[in-house]
Amino acid sequence: MAATLTSKRFSAQDEAEAIEMAFDKGWSDGLPVIPPTEARVRAMLDAARLGPGQQVGFVAHRAVSITAEKVAINAVMAGCRPEYMPVVVAAVEGIADPRWSYHGPGTSTGGAGVLMIVNGPVARDLDINAGDNLFGPGWRANLTIGRAVRLVMRNVCGSLPGLLDRGTLGHPGKLSYVIAENEVDSPWTPLHVERGFRPEQSAVTVIASDAPHQFYNQLSPTAEGVLTTCADDMRISGTVMGQSTYVVVLAGEHMQTIARDGWDKKRIRQFLFEKTHNTYAHLKRTQRMSGDIAADDEQKTRPLVASPDDILVVAAGGRAGAFSCYIPGWGSARSSQAVSKEVKR
Amino acid sequence: MMDILDPTTEAATQTIAYSPRPTALDGKRVALIQNTKYNSDRLLAKIGDILKAEYGVAEWRMYHKHNASVPAHAEIIEEVKKSADVMVAGIGD
Repeated sequence: MAATLTSKRFSAQDEAEAIEMAFDKGWSDGLPVIPPTEARVRAMLDAARLGPGQQVGFVAHRAVSITAEKVAINAVMAGCRPEYMPVVVAAVEGIADPRWSYHGPGTSTGGAGVLMIVNGPVARDLDINAGDNLFGPGWRANLTIGRAVRLVMRNVCGSLPGLLDRGTLGHPGKLSYVIAENEVDSPWTPLHVERGFRPEQSAVTVIASDAPHQFYNQLSPTAEGVLTTCADDMRISGTVMGQSTYVVVLAGEHMQTIARDGWDKKRIRQFLFEKTHNTYAHLKRTQRMSGDIAADDEQKTRPLVASPDDILVVAAGGRAGAFSCYIPGWGSARSSQAVSKEVKR
Repeated sequence: MMDILDPTTEAATQTIAYSPRPTALDGKRVALIQNTKYNSDRLLAKIGDILKAEYGVAEWRMYHKHNASVPAHAEIIEEVKKSADVMVAGIGD
């Protein structure tokens, strides 16, 4: 016999009343939800082969145990298909990991979203978009998986906007912020393989992140040209004064241009790391660093991130258009780190 | 009719004991927990001085979190439990 679902039950006349009830009870992110009936929640749990009482994560900062049952309820509400559930579970494991450090990115005025990058066969199987309109509308998996994670943060971890989520501005990625890497067309090692997984494994990487910043280079036919533009844009972005992570998303045309010159991800990272230093003088002149400008401040420089490895390079985005983007991580390296978890199916 | 399930955390029954708030600050020892943001130490020191001068606080001592984005670490909590009667946590933004 299947284990009992222990969540409190509420009765509604019909689906329409249940949807309104979710708004009234403060369970929604502002959009209508799918009413979480027992049958729908059980289908979600079965797809991930999880019992309702199994703990998916424990957020020490909130003293909250996140059970599979609660993840499943929120995944139903978000509009996930049952087969998305293992990805949602892996992402929730990621944000509950001490290295991600929930307290900061879940609460901060800095307003981080949870960028989720899906790699491996699961991304193709679930049709998680890695191409045109990458961060935009059109793909159920992209929009509902991220929404489910944010609903878990809201309903299970207490990250309610204006209360324990104090983002000053927030950004649209806080509704859902899921992409896949375009491993089919990419000439490079996939992100999850760089982070220790085998190519045939599936994984999701969660990163506390600002919104994407698009840059444009329709002029240069070289890797150095395209990435020089990228570095010039990146150099003054995010908090500038010691960022945790950057994600650089290279779309079709730029990906081809850079690959044609034989640059791999390591070389891209190294180039961007070296070209995004700021001088102390500039940081002081622009009121990002305190203190008066000292004699050697025009020569002394500070990198955007601690090491080239903190720049994650991902191949994704539409085939046409000389656009790519970079995404500043939230906070500093001591505050939150990117975490990758296997998607277990 | 249909039943839907509650997506929120229902807290398991447990009792949390809060320390009683002091009715006065005379002779109390104050811990100031600063979050390392720029000027937060100055702001809290000022508060500590006012508490001493105007409310009769015996002493204040400042503790520094590892950084602004993490909770106060265990050593701070343990030390404050032993050596302070009142705590002021503040941020500088």
